[in-house]
Formats: sequence, structure tokens, C-alpha cells
Amino acid sequence: MTGNQFHLGIDVGGTFTDAVLICEETGRIDTAKVPSTPADPSIGFMAAVARVLDGSAVDPGAIAHLVHGTTVATNSLIEGKTPKTAFVTTKGFGDMLEIARQVRPSLYDVHFEKLRPLVPRDLCYEVPERLDAAGGVLRSLDEDAVREIAAALRAQEVRSVAVCLLHGYANPAHEERVAEILREEDPDLLISLSSGVCPEFREYFRASTCVINACIVPVVARYLAGIEEGLGRAGLDAELLVMQSNGGVLTAEQAASKPVFMVESGPAAGVVSANFIAGQLGHADLISFDMGGTTAKAGLVLDGRPRVTKEYEVGAQAQPGQGMTRAAGYPIRTPVIDLVEVGAGGGSLAWVDAGGGLRVGPWSAGADPGPICYGKGGTEPTITDANLVLGRLNPDYFLGGEMELDVDAAAAGIRERCAEPLGLDPVEAANGIIEIANATMINALRLVTVRRGNDPRELTMVAFGGAGPLHANRLCVEMQIPTLVVPPSPGTASALGLLVTDLRHEFSRTRVMAADVADASRIRSLFETMEEEGRRTLRREGVAPEDMEFRRGIEMRYAGQSSEVPVALPGEGADAGLDGEFAEATLADATLADAVRRFHGEHERAYGHGYPEQPVELVNFTVTAIGRIARPRLPKIDANGKGVSDARRGTRQVFFSDGNAAVDGNAGFVETAIYDRARLKAGHVVAGPAVIEEVDSTTLVHAGYRATVDEFGNLLIAPGRVP
Amino acid sequence: MPQPESRTVSSVDPVLFEVIRNALVEATEEMSVTLQRTAYSTNIKTRLDYSCAFVDADGRMIAQAFCQPAHLVTIGRLVPRAVAEYEAEHGEGTLGPGDGLLVNDPHRQASHLNDVFLIAPFFHGGELVGYVANCCHHVDVGGGAPASIGAFREIYQEGIILPVVKLFDGGELVGDVLKLMLANVRAKKEVAGDLRAQHAANEIGLRRLSALWERYGAKVLGSYMDRMVEYSERRLRAELAALPRGEFAAEGCLDDDGITGEPVRLKVRIRFDGSTARFDFTGTDPQRAAPMNCNLTQCFTACVYVLKCLVDPDIPLNEGFYRPIEVVAPEGSAVNVRPPAGVVGGWEVAMRLCDIMFRALADPMPERVPAGTKGMICHVGFGGEDPATGEYYCFLETLAGGYGGRHDADGPDAVQTHIQNTQNAPIEETELNYPVRIHEYSLVPDSEGAGRRRGGLALCREYEFVGHEPTFTTLADRARFPAHGLHGGDDGKVASYTLISGGEARNLGSKATVQLVTGDRVRIETAGGGGFGPAHERDPEAVLRDVREGKISRARAREAYGVAIRSGKWAVDLVETRRLRRSPGR
Repeated sequence: MTGNQFHLGIDVGGTFTDAVLICEETGRIDTAKVPSTPADPSIGFMAAVARVLDGSAVDPGAIAHLVHGTTVATNSLIEGKTPKTAFVTTKGFGDMLEIARQVRPSLYDVHFEKLRPLVPRDLCYEVPERLDAAGGVLRSLDEDAVREIAAALRAQEVRSVAVCLLHGYANPAHEERVAEILREEDPDLLISLSSGVCPEFREYFRASTCVINACIVPVVARYLAGIEEGLGRAGLDAELLVMQSNGGVLTAEQAASKPVFMVESGPAAGVVSANFIAGQLGHADLISFDMGGTTAKAGLVLDGRPRVTKEYEVGAQAQPGQGMTRAAGYPIRTPVIDLVEVGAGGGSLAWVDAGGGLRVGPWSAGADPGPICYGKGGTEPTITDANLVLGRLNPDYFLGGEMELDVDAAAAGIRERCAEPLGLDPVEAANGIIEIANATMINALRLVTVRRGNDPRELTMVAFGGAGPLHANRLCVEMQIPTLVVPPSPGTASALGLLVTDLRHEFSRTRVMAADVADASRIRSLFETMEEEGRRTLRREGVAPEDMEFRRGIEMRYAGQSSEVPVALPGEGADAGLDGEFAEATLADATLADAVRRFHGEHERAYGHGYPEQPVELVNFTVTAIGRIARPRLPKIDANGKGVSDARRGTRQVFFSDGNAAVDGNAGFVETAIYDRARLKAGHVVAGPAVIEEVDSTTLVHAGYRATVDEFGNLLIAPGRVP
Repeated sequence: MPQPESRTVSSVDPVLFEVIRNALVEATEEMSVTLQRTAYSTNIKTRLDYSCAFVDADGRMIAQAFCQPAHLVTIGRLVPRAVAEYEAEHGEGTLGPGDGLLVNDPHRQASHLNDVFLIAPFFHGGELVGYVANCCHHVDVGGGAPASIGAFREIYQEGIILPVVKLFDGGELVGDVLKLMLANVRAKKEVAGDLRAQHAANEIGLRRLSALWERYGAKVLGSYMDRMVEYSERRLRAELAALPRGEFAAEGCLDDDGITGEPVRLKVRIRFDGSTARFDFTGTDPQRAAPMNCNLTQCFTACVYVLKCLVDPDIPLNEGFYRPIEVVAPEGSAVNVRPPAGVVGGWEVAMRLCDIMFRALADPMPERVPAGTKGMICHVGFGGEDPATGEYYCFLETLAGGYGGRHDADGPDAVQTHIQNTQNAPIEETELNYPVRIHEYSLVPDSEGAGRRRGGLALCREYEFVGHEPTFTTLADRARFPAHGLHGGDDGKVASYTLISGGEARNLGSKATVQLVTGDRVRIETAGGGGFGPAHERDPEAVLRDVREGKISRARAREAYGVAIRSGKWAVDLVETRRLRRSPGR
């Protein structure tokens, strides 16, 4: 091989581990897919590395940049495979985790179970001490009691401990002293402090975040150490970076100490990828739509930044028909890319309920047995079966022809389970399954757009995942989204996100104050403290000062509300991040006044009303420290030498429910052109109705739409006819 | 979606049915999110004590976003009545676009005064199509005690009564009505803010519905709404056909009525006949000149809730679900109150009705109903002059307790029960916003009803007030009559309400309003859940785990469960346990 440098991304999912390798100079992409190895995910990780390097004949030493996305943190929690962890809190509040939010996760189920606390009650310890809401000491820390706890932890063979003291967000002194004493007593103890992990108020949520961190610290640290060792043996000496839930990456060393920041590492990569793909085309506002085997996920990117949320529950599961409720999972208050996930994937089951209603999901046939048409023992019809019956999938070219699909079995299953009970024919029922699945996905899209005040007519959709491109065009029609982008190899597009993001660290502090009397110098020093922390971290990660960026934000609310709206502060950007050059102007009162003005606007956008005459409170102050990483270039494809007919495979009967596809304006089967995506060249235009097939996905183009192939090989689908 | 044979209109499309149904529910969910995010009081934002719904022009509840089961019925029942009353007074057709009706009168079948409803008519193409409405528990509506939950004889003492009045007229706020209302309440900022949030939620609902009507048209939607109502009714009747038939009775008592020490006796006879459910409360005590009465809407709510727990939770809630249900509640009784009696404890009554109804069904349906639960709302309210700001503040919260044991599982600890699912207020946020200090928030060990499946533990919350002299109220229950055990399980531990002043502890009882001095503490221990099945049949390892986790003492393990734990190590003493369990008559 030449002296080219390579970027390598490894995405460990529940079923498959994907590897993506990009050559920095040529932009060539190689991918590999191997089965995941849940018992020890590092085996699958190393297998994927070996496979992609072998396949591309790239020398391990040529890997300059290595990024990992993983669900190992979440899985260990959900499966209860975390080592013995303890919890230390203020006297009187040791039952914080047991009581949690004091609510039931479902309203009408008398057989409900409350969420099992991650730390059993006998490993929850109380220490006499007390702070007030301003951080003042009401009762000093009883250090002897802490030493007694240390002895108990040793006796119980606890390896990791979470410390969350009441009002610890306002003053970390007691928590830090507790850590010092515990460390004196047992230098090997892993300690997570709430003031370090998530210094925000509302004790149960902070404690939960801190406890999750403490539970997964040993697992993640060991896992990452194992991978680094394996990489060393394989001759890869690039620094290992890990994708976080917020879409940024951090070093393995950082990830090992604050693993709660990476619980949703995998799904985040998909949104980052969509953002990158759309960014290349100059689209900064978009919906990321990722439809796989079990679920569909919708995420929002505005102004080139994925939307993040701090209201997230780990392990929460959808509960149909239970109404709005919470407490189904363990809450965390670290930033997570905001995704709405619905039970509508290729494997989602279609069924007829007791009242004779046709339903789809949220249950899934998964990969095993999978849809009926896979012929692996599945007996219940799925979305994939319906797509097959409607002619949208090619039975002879699934996974590039690796798997043959059984159309007759799919049709028989749909007839028996759905069509006959409803008095429909199988095609009507199959179409119904797709329509209902689309309706579910539209609800998810509505959640991330109109419900949050964003007009879908101003957004671009990027659709990927094996099933995404089959449904996306129809969703865009319904949502009036003007442009749809389907990247090449939609089935592995998500892993690309690992290689197109930056180092990112989030800091926050709760200091509740009225906006009109806020002390700008106090706020400035809060920001500066957090930025200094960020700068130190980035420097340790080897980021040059000119590649550092700091973003300030304030989460505000109307005085008396208890839900905050984040507002970004101006004056950010690379200039603001230069060492020691903190312009005094970055938080002049004028800046604050401007931020408050924008808060009114944001509130109005999100909830329909702003109240400019009402007093505003500043609640949380946040800093995002970013260390920019160079993006690899993506490869370009050849321009059209011959006409698009060269890529045409022929035609087949495909069912369309939107009337304009058919000649007579009614729903029905239409003779539809089939194209081979591998043979489409830049500049080609495919007119709908059409089906575009490739190895890991199939794209459906509706009548009245056309798909244009751009220089990167993306399909750009928009209304219009071929000229 | 209708069965093929019941199709009367050939154009009924099962797919469109599902799409429209979801879209209507989604519109109310969107209202719900708006209301929660823009609300001012902890009550709504954190405790989620509100609901939003869409009711059609015929007064049928079509879609609702539920946060609290307590609101299962209220909006659907109140809206047609409120509109009819308003139009009877002002003439038919007097409601127009941009109007908003405000109402909270329990004697007009709202719930207690704190629950304030805002109703907005929805017009499409000049035609009235229906109403969006929401209901919020306001932290204060005036009356004799902060948070408006004190025990008084008459409704007039409980707070401001809003008959059906316009708060919005053609899109304009009726300032005089708001002014009158705010003049009567303590927490003016919160009440004003929450009313704004209620208005914003309705506006969002109207916007969403307009888009739907634009798209599908009134004719299609009208026909599908008919189908949705029929569908829910049909599914509920199909479920009723599978329930055991017969008449099942039970009764129980509330501690007292809040004014006299006399317990309030509640009685129910439930009859399932295969297609209807009849709930007959004949024999319940006459109403009291006191707060512990509920109105017919609240009584009906309890019945709908209980039935909903027994059938497929997936059946959509709308008018069709109410149709197979018949409620017989004698007028003037504690479950169908007449003016001018107090009603503020109405939800306390309705909550207990749920426990009693489940008790009635315990024998015919042993695997499907839990033992007695916390069985009360357990309101705690306080207010006074905040020493930091000089402003009047008001705070309300409700405390959880033990759930009842089930045939195959223990009752969960410290959880809200039945019609209530309000979240706790974070202590840090409470201390940041109000002049109160909370010293303890914990489980109460040994408070469970022992059983093969034990009841859940109660919880304890202790408050201290510094630098001012607030008024403190508890409106609760269960201090005398415990959560019942089932099938040989023991009753749960009763609740206690204690004032600690100047080093002396005083029992307040479950309903009290007291004036505190600085440094006073109030300690509340709620009720534990009842046990299910004989305690001596409990798996000794489960008892061991409870002892190890400190939920049950060693002494109690021995006395109540007949389980001996070895001293010095975490293991069951099998020989001693066998001996204890052999001995008769524990």
C-alpha cells in the first residue's frame, strides 16, 4: 500500500458489527459486516477490523483515525450485568432510588412493576451532612461516617460507588471530600460524583445519571481496555475514539471515566451521518430517518446541528394504549441526540386486534425467525412481507441475491392473519399494513417537527437503514417534505457517522437567577470555569488551540415554570476559543438581553406562545467544548457516459396506493421500471414510478417524483418529471 | 374498525380508520405536551395533574391524552353539560370561534374546585364540529386554606366557584373575569400562568384539528368518529362477555369526614351480566356537611377506571367505552353530592371506591385484582408569606404509599395508586422555590401488609418550616382503616400525620389545617399496601431479601412471616422457620 492515511469506524450493533474504512486521500470506502458477539463484543470488533483491513489490503499502521460506536454500555444495564455498585447520599434520602418518581409506568395495569433500582437498598448508604439550595452548609460532613461507609463497601466487595448529595450541584465540596476519604480508604474504588457527572438540580435525575455512570464504569473501562489491547496486538496504534450519545466523540480514556455520556452511542451515529451527507449538498436543516429491522428512528438537525435532549430514559419501552406516562426507564440528564423511535421496522408484525382493527407493531419478528418470506420459520406477517406482496421488493435480489424471498408464503400469511379476518383481499391488506406503518412513522416525524415548532416544508429528509428508502418517498409526500436524499449503501450509512464528527465535551451548572438582575460577571466566570475545564480536556486529547471551539448556552424558563428552553449564546466560534483571549464582550449585558429576547421567540416557536412581559429565569449554564477533526472526503462516482437506460433492469408490477401512479387515478398495480443502483451514474435521472435496487436496500420512487443521481452517488428525490 | 358484517357504509376503510383515530389522539397529545411545557405550577409540569381532550359537536368524547386516570370521564361529561347550560342562558349558537369557557363547579359535574376546565369550540367552514378542552389542577383557587384543600362544611368555603363563564370571547381575553378570579386566589402568578398554558394548549389543538378537517373533510371524519365510538363499545362488550357474571359486593370506610369524627361508609354492588357493568352504591352514607363527598362524575370515574383495568388496555377510550356502564348513586349521598356540601375531598372518596370495588371482585377474579392499596390521594398543602420575597406562596403535593399484593407479585413500594399517578416534586427544586426544608423522604420499614405476596411499603416525608409561619394542611385518609389484605393476607399499616412542635409530637389525624411557627416540623407516614395470601406461605428467601434490604425487620420476619434469619449471616434458619410455621395461630 502507499503512504495513504485511513479513517476506520467500527459500529457494534445488536445483530451486526459494521466496519467502514475511508482513504483520506482518495475517498475510497470499504465496508465489512460481521456478526456481533454479545458475550464479548470485542471479538466481533476485532473480527470486523481484520475483515475490512484484509479486504482492502490496508496496513494497520496506516489507520490514522479510529472511532467506535457501541451499545455495550446500555446492554450491560438492561441485562443487569453490571458489577456490584453502591450509592451514597445525604441522611434521610437513602431511598431516593427506591422511591424514584413514585409513579407507575402504566396507568391501567394492576400487574405493573416499578423499575428495579440499579442499586439494591442494602447498598444505599446515608451520610450525615446537609447543604441548602444555595450551596451553603447547614450541617457539616460527618467524616467518620464516611469512613464507616468505606469499611462497609470493602466488606461488601463493592467496586464502584455513586455519590449524590442533596444540593451537590450547587456546591461540590462535600461530594469531593467524600471521594477523598473513600479513596484514602480504598485506592482501587471507582467513584462517580454527581457534581462531576451532571451538576444539575433535581436530585433523583442527577442521582440516576450518576448511578448509571457508576454501574457501567467497570464494564466500559474493561471493555475499552480489552479493545485497545487487541488493537495494539493488531498493530493499530491510532488513538481510540468513542462516539457519545450527543453525536460527538471522545477519547477512550474519557469515555471510560464518564461512560454515561455514551449510552446511545450507536443511534447517534446515524443522525451525524445524515447531517454530514446533507451538509455536502448544502442542506443544514433536515430530518434523519433511519428504518431498520425492528424500529424506525426520526431525528432533527437544525442549522447543521443535531438536536439534543436532556430528557432521556435508558431501557424505556413503548407501551401501546397506555396513554402518556413516564418512569418506564432509568432517566439520564446528559445530552442525547433527540430521536423519536417507533415500533415500525421491516420486521414489525401486522395483526388484527380483538375489535377487528388492523394493527402494525410495536412487536417485531426480529432477525430470527424474521418475516415469513425469509423462510426461517416466521409465521406472522411483517412490513417486509407486505412490501414483497406489493411488488416493492425483488424476491430474487434481496441482499444482492444472497437470500431468496418467498412471495407465496408471504401472501398466504397476510391472507390468513390479516386479509380474511377483515374481509379484504391480500393485496388490500398488504397495502393496509404499509399505510398503517407509514401513519406510525408520520407520528414520529410529526413529533420531531411540527410538535417542536419546525415546519417540515423547510426540511430535507435523509433516509437510510435497510428499509428506510422503501418508505421515505411516501412519508415525504404526506409531510410535504420537498427533498429526499438516499445515500449510497443505506444499510451501512449509519456507521459513516462515526468518521465525520468532532471531539465534544459537555459541561453544565445549575444556578437559578432572575434574568433582569443576573450578575453578568458571575455568569462569565461560570462559563470561563467550564471552558477552562473543556480546554484542559481537549489539550489532553491533543487538540491544537486553533481547532478548539466553545459554545455557550443558557437554559431558561419563565419564572415559575419548571421546564427549561435552551438558548445558544452568540459570540461563540473559534475566535472565542483562543487561549486567554476571552473577549469581555462575550457576555455583556447586551448579549444576555439578546439571549432573553431569543428565549421568548424559542418558547413561542416550541409551544405556540411567548410571554415577553413575563419575568425570565436563567437556570442552567452550559458549555460545549469542541475539538475539530478533519473530515474525510467522500468518493465521487463517474458521470453518465451512457443513458440511464443502461441501468435499467426491466419492469415489474408494483402496487401504489396514491392514485396518481396509476393511469386511471386509482390505487393498484402499475408496470414499474426497475433500476440497478450500482449502474447509475452521476447526472442520471430516474422518473417515478420506479424501483431502484442495490445490495442492502431498495428505493421506491413515486409517480410525480424523480430521482437525480448526484456526484457522490446520492439519490435526490423531489417532485417533478423527467424533462 | 368495524367487523365486515357490521359495515353499514361500504366506504369504511380499515386503514383510514386507524390513521384517523391515531391522528385525533395525536392532536390531544400535542395539546398535552404544550400544556405541560408551558405551565407554571409544579402541579402540572411535574405532577402532570391535567388532561386534554376532543369532544364532538354531539358531546361525545372522541379522543383524549391521559396523564391521570382521574380524568377518564370528567372532560367528556362536563363539556356537553357546560355548553348546554351556557347556550340555554345566552341562546343557541352564541359560541363562536375564539371563545373559551371557564368552569370548575363540582355541582355542575366538574370535579373539585381546584380542577379548572377551559373549553374552546372548534369550527370548520363556519360549522361547529366539536370542542377541545383541558382540565388542570390549580395550586390554589382561594378558600379557607392555602392550596384550597382544607376541610370545610360548604363549597363556598372551598374557593372561588366558576360557573360556566367566558374567559375568551372571539379570541380576546375577558380581562374582568381573569381579574375577578385572580383576586380570589393566593398563587396569582401560577394561576395566571397555568391559565395561559391552558389557552395555549387549546390553540394548538384547534390548529391540529383544522388541518385534519381540511384534509379529510367533515363528512368523512364524522362518519369515522361514529365508527370509533361503536368500535370501543363493541370491544368493551366483547370483554364484558368474558367477565364472570353475577353480583359482587363490598364496603369500606373513610376515617372521618373532616368535620366530625364519624367514619364515612361506602358500599358497592357490582353486577356483570355479559354485556353491561352496573355499579350500585345504594347503602352508602348520606352526604356530609364536610369535604369528603364526591360528585357523580368522580364516582363514575372510579367505575370506568376499575373496568378499564379488567379489560384489554388497548381499547381506545371514548364515549363508546362509557355506554355499557351503568352507575346507580343515590342523590344526596357521599358519592353523588348535592349543593352546598363541600367536595374538595371528592377524589379521596373516588380513590377509596376503587379499592372497595376491587375488593368486591377479589373472589370472582382472584388473579386479576390487587389487595388494598394506599387508597387515598394524600394531599399536603402549605402556604404563607415567603420571608425571602415577602410574597404569598402556595405549595401542593400528594404522597405515594404501598400498592396491594397481587396473586403473582408483591405490591410495589411507594407508588401512586389507581386513579392517581402524580409524580413527586424534586426536593431540591422545592427547597429552591419555597421556604421549606425536607428532612426525610424514605420508605417506612415494616409498613407492608404481610402475605404470600406482601403489600408495598409506605413512605415518609418530613417538612420543616423556617423563617415564617405558614398554614399547613393535610387532606388524606387511612389513619384508621388500613389497606385490606386478600385471601388470607394481612392488612397494611395505617398512615400517621404528626406535628412536632417545641419538642412535642401531636397526632394531627388525616385531615387538619394548622398554623405553624418557625422551626415546626410535620412528619407524614402514608399507608402500606395489603398482603395477598397467607404470610406463612411466603417464600423464605423473599423474606430474607426484604430483611437484608432493611424493608422488614428480623422481628417482623419472625412474627408475621414465621421466618427465622440466622444471626450474623444472611441465611434463612430453615429448621427454626419450619418450627415457626408449624405452630398454629400466629
